Amino acid sequence: MKTRSLTRTLTVGVLAAELLCAALFSVVAIAHEMHDRARAFDVMLNGRADSLLGAVQDAEDPDDNVVVDQTELVVPPQDAYEVIMANGRMVGHSPGSSATLLAALSSHTSFGYFNFMADGRHYRGLRKPGIRVIDRDENGGIRRPVTLLYAAPTSHLWHQAVEAVRFYIIAGVLLLLLTGVIMAWFLRRSLSPLRELAERAARVSTSAWEFTPPDEALHTHELEPIASSIQALLLGLQQSFERQRQFTGDAAHELKTSIAVLKSSLQLLALRERTSTEYALAIEGLLLDTQRMEDLTNRMLTLARIEQAPPAASASLETTDLSSIVQIVAERLYPAMQLHRVALTLAASSQMPVTVAAEDVDVLCSNLLMNAIQHSTPGGSISVSLSKDPANVRMSISDTGDGIAPDALPHIFERFYRADASRSRISGGAGLGLAICKGIVDRCGGSIAVTSVIGKGTHVEVIMPLARQSKVAQLHVATAEASS
Amino acid sequence: MRILIIEDEVRLAENVATAFRDRYGSAVDCAHDGLEGFSLAESGHYDLLILDLMLPGADGLSIVTKLRTRGDATPILILTARDERAHVIDLLNAGADDYLTKPFDLGELLARGKALIRRGKGVANTVLTLGQLSLNSVEQTVHGDSQLVDLSPTEYRILEYLMFRPRAIVSKRELLEHLYDYRWEHHSNVIEAHVSNLRKKLRATGELALVETIRGRGYRLSVPEASQ
Repeated sequence: MKTRSLTRTLTVGVLAAELLCAALFSVVAIAHEMHDRARAFDVMLNGRADSLLGAVQDAEDPDDNVVVDQTELVVPPQDAYEVIMANGRMVGHSPGSSATLLAALSSHTSFGYFNFMADGRHYRGLRKPGIRVIDRDENGGIRRPVTLLYAAPTSHLWHQAVEAVRFYIIAGVLLLLLTGVIMAWFLRRSLSPLRELAERAARVSTSAWEFTPPDEALHTHELEPIASSIQALLLGLQQSFERQRQFTGDAAHELKTSIAVLKSSLQLLALRERTSTEYALAIEGLLLDTQRMEDLTNRMLTLARIEQAPPAASASLETTDLSSIVQIVAERLYPAMQLHRVALTLAASSQMPVTVAAEDVDVLCSNLLMNAIQHSTPGGSISVSLSKDPANVRMSISDTGDGIAPDALPHIFERFYRADASRSRISGGAGLGLAICKGIVDRCGGSIAVTSVIGKGTHVEVIMPLARQSKVAQLHVATAEASS
Repeated sequence: MRILIIEDEVRLAENVATAFRDRYGSAVDCAHDGLEGFSLAESGHYDLLILDLMLPGADGLSIVTKLRTRGDATPILILTARDERAHVIDLLNAGADDYLTKPFDLGELLARGKALIRRGKGVANTVLTLGQLSLNSVEQTVHGDSQLVDLSPTEYRILEYLMFRPRAIVSKRELLEHLYDYRWEHHSNVIEAHVSNLRKKLRATGELALVETIRGRGYRLSVPEASQ
């Protein structure tokens, strides 16, 4: 794709605007000049026509004729004139004018100014009446009416006008060139923070996240938002990258350890000859190891699915009734509760729709309940209560178990964190359960909080936004299928 | 030889412990978190520490650092799931002697463990010799003047321990601590019988070596003047 240069676009734009202005200015100036000169020309024509009238003399003949006394008349040689008497007889004309010019001049019959062409030149003419008073005395003398025709070429007018405006045109062109040079220099200079910003941003890589926007960019009004958003974007990327790396590292550690268990079990078996009873026992152990590895893989995949799927896409699709899922999960975990000799009280009545997939609500409830069961002392009790307000659904799970140490409490939602490692190893936990719960709750815009007192028990509180009532009807079908 | 395994993965610790017991008849203790592991390691009765890195309580690296700061020279073999170069360098610089990445080969772990114990006793050869008496620690056999000496596993282990420290006085308690796991006190009376049997079998080789009992102080493996 061809790239567009901002500098070039701006320079060309400004220059084009300036050129347009200069051209308009020149046209207006020339028009104005022409107008002024045309008026002056008309006045001059009139004046010359008047001086022509002065040259009209009484002819020394009986027929009241007049003649044009050319000896006293001084007009430019290229001008043409005619003097016509009232009876139509031409009494005089410019001596140097051609016949065609004179004919063209006299062909115009109405008084006033007019333009015409003759001999390939443009002329402006004036036809005006004049009265020559002869023998001026008390009676006023004899009045001799004549018609004066006077014309002068106009071609020099245009040249004069352009001549007068030429200075401005040259100045305009020079200004244009100067603007172009200054613009190019200035734009290059003022865009340098942008280039600097781009260079700094280009230096960022997955191994070197450091990005400090140049001060100039931070102090530039237009660039500051770009610099800040690049900074924020990189910070977010870096954090998620780090999280991902941490997760991959932890996952690799867990998987390698699981494989190490399997491998060492098999190699131990092969160290020497075994009895069939020993083999049978070993196979049992190996199956358990494999089961643990499978659980670990499943949990990691669940976590990856929850953390990676876009929250909006799936969250808005499905509505699940929390209270019915809790009951299903509680029934399913009943054998485990019997095994640990733990009693459960469940307080849930009405529907509690949340916008979370049924599968995820199931994972959430069973993880939390299973945690409570495993950390309960025999003979203890677990109470689950559900309530809702206009905006939220609230689920509280309390146990009378051994509690969580205060220094472990801030870390319990971290992936692969185990508050009591040897114990969770035995119970098969990989430290992913609560991370998965938090992932599920976070995704629907809810919150999960754990409070605990050592020796007294743990209290988990989950708050999730209440779903709109529209899709709850479908839910019963889903839960009915799940329970069957 | 007595070995301490600090590993939070219970099944893995059990497997390694069983392998050492089966193959070398070692006494093995297991700890499943860093704090318990460190307090056991502090006692100093061990000939080898096998240490996982990611441990609850205290991580493996800090245990290594603390033990070495205290002047403890027990060989340490690290089990790690991470095999980045820089990480390994850090471990060895902190004072670890060797490392294996998970999943490891059990046979390799046994061999490396044995080599570390040997090196820890200042011995390079897998065959220990004292005068005409030679002990092959790989085949776990003892020869006196190229004649095989038939020993029971416990007798072999007593002789092996004494051969690592020839001519030095080894107290009964030390012998017990290094040959048995944390329940060593139960074996207190039995060991005298084992030593007595060993002494008899060595005498049968023609007094190539003899186990002296030094009253109130312990035992000493020495070569009689005549056979030197």
